[in-house]
Amino acid sequence: MFSWQATPLRPLTLLGMLIGVVVVLALVLGIVTYLIYFERKVIGWMQGRIGPNRVGPLGLLQSVADVLKLLIKEDIIPANADRALFLLAPVIAFVPSFMVLAVIPYTASHIFTANLNVGLLYYIALSSLTILGIVMAGWASNNKYSLLGGMRSAAQMISYEIPLGLSVLGVVMLAGSLNLVTIVQHQATDRFGWYIIPQIIGFVVFMIAALAELNRTPFDLPEAESELVAGYFTEYSGFRFAFFMLSEYVYVFAISALATTLFLGGWAGPFLPSWLWFAIKTSAIIFFLFWVRATMPRMRGDQLMSFAWKVLIPVALFNVVLTGALSLIG
Amino acid sequence: MFFGMPLTGQTVSFFLLALLIIASGVMLMTLTKVMHMAVALAGVFLGVAGIFILLGADFVGMAQILVYAGAITILMVFALMLTQKGDDTESPEASTGRSLLTLLGVVVFTGIMLLVLRGTTWPYSQSAVDPYTQPTVVLIAQSLYHTYTIPFELLSLILTAALVGSVVIARKED
Repeated sequence: MFSWQATPLRPLTLLGMLIGVVVVLALVLGIVTYLIYFERKVIGWMQGRIGPNRVGPLGLLQSVADVLKLLIKEDIIPANADRALFLLAPVIAFVPSFMVLAVIPYTASHIFTANLNVGLLYYIALSSLTILGIVMAGWASNNKYSLLGGMRSAAQMISYEIPLGLSVLGVVMLAGSLNLVTIVQHQATDRFGWYIIPQIIGFVVFMIAALAELNRTPFDLPEAESELVAGYFTEYSGFRFAFFMLSEYVYVFAISALATTLFLGGWAGPFLPSWLWFAIKTSAIIFFLFWVRATMPRMRGDQLMSFAWKVLIPVALFNVVLTGALSLIG
Repeated sequence: MFFGMPLTGQTVSFFLLALLIIASGVMLMTLTKVMHMAVALAGVFLGVAGIFILLGADFVGMAQILVYAGAITILMVFALMLTQKGDDTESPEASTGRSLLTLLGVVVFTGIMLLVLRGTTWPYSQSAVDPYTQPTVVLIAQSLYHTYTIPFELLSLILTAALVGSVVIARKED
C-alpha cells in the first residue's frame, strides 16, 4: 500500500495528491448539482407538480443555472456583523463535509478511499466540526433569527450525534472493526448477510438521527423558514450562502453513502460493477430522505430534545446490549 | 533534505501542524473577543489531534477531535452565547516591568526545555512509521477491557455518580 508518511515528498507526488483532490471535488460538485435537481423533481412529483423543466432538456441544467446565479451575486457582509468570523464560518462548515468523503469505500478497488483503521470514528468526529461553523455563522451575523437558528442547530446536532454514534456501535461489534473497508468485507461473509437484517434497530435509529444531523424535515427547526426566516444563514448571500447549501447536500450524500456502507453491504452485489451497486444503494437511501421530506410535517420544538434523550438513546443502548448478548450466545 | 531531515509527507505535515498549533495558540492569547478565542482554541485542538495521528495514535487523535474540537468548543461557545453581554474586550496593556519579567520567564523556560530535550536519549526504532503491531483501537480495547477492567469500571462508576450528583445539586437550586 502507498504510504504517504514514509515516501519522500517529490513535486510529482504532491501533484498526484492535488489532482486526486480536484477530481473528487469535481465529482462531488456534480453529484450535489444533480442531487438538488433530483430532490426538486422527486418532491414535485410527490406533490403533484412538475418540478424544474425549463433550463435545458427536462430541466437538467436548472441547478447549474442556480449555482451560476449564486456565484455572480454580490457577496454582502452586514455592517454590524463580526467580519472575520462571518467570512470564516462557511469554510468551517464546508471543509469537514468534504473531508469525511475520504474514508467511504465507493468501489471494490478503493481508488479514492483512505483505508483508515478508525474510519467510522473519523466520520463522526469530523462531522461534529460542522456544528462549530453553523454556530459561528449564527453568532457572527449579529441577527436574532440567525442566532436562534444557530443555537437550535447546535443543541439539536449535539443531541442527535449521541444516538448516531450509539446506533453504529452494533455494526462495529458485529464486524469487530472501525475500518469501513473491513465492515463491508465482513458483511459479505456474515451469516445474516447485510447488517440491515441483524441490526434493524440500529438502522432505524441511525436513519432518524441522520435526518436530525442533516437538519432536514422533520427535524429542520434550525432553518424553519416560517419562524426563523432561514435560520443561521439568513444574512448570507452569494457564494457564501452557496457554501452552506453545498455542505448540506454533501452531507446528504455522505450520510447516505455511510448508511450504504454500514447497513447495505457497501459496493457488494451480483452481476453489476461495484461502483454501480454502490450508486444504486446510495440513491435509494437519498430517495428515502427526500421522500421523508416531502411527506412529514416538522417536529415540535419541545418534543425534539426529549425524543433524542428519552427515546432514541435508550433504544440505541438496548440495541448495543442485545447485539452483545446475541453474539455471546451465537 | 531539510535541516538534515528527509522531506517526507510526515515531516512536512509535522511542520504544518506545528505552525497551526503555534499560530492558533498565539491568536488565543492575543485576540480580544472571547468568541474569536474559542475558534483559535479549536485550531489548537485540531493541530494536537493531527500530531497524535502522526505519532500513530489514530484513535486518540480522533477522540481528541470528537471530544475537544467538537464538543468542548461548542460547549464553550454555547455558554458564551448564553451569558455574554455587551462589550467583552479585555483590560489595557500590562506595564513595562511585567512585560520584562514575562520575557525573562519565557527565556528561562525555553533554555531549560532545550537543555532537557537535548540531554535526553530518546527511544528510537528504525521502522518508525507504524510502531504498533495491531490497530491501536484493538490495543486500547484490550488494555481497557482485559488488563484494567476493574479500574476502568470503577472510574466509570465514579463519573456516573458525579454526573448524577451534579444534576441533583443543580435541581435543588430552583
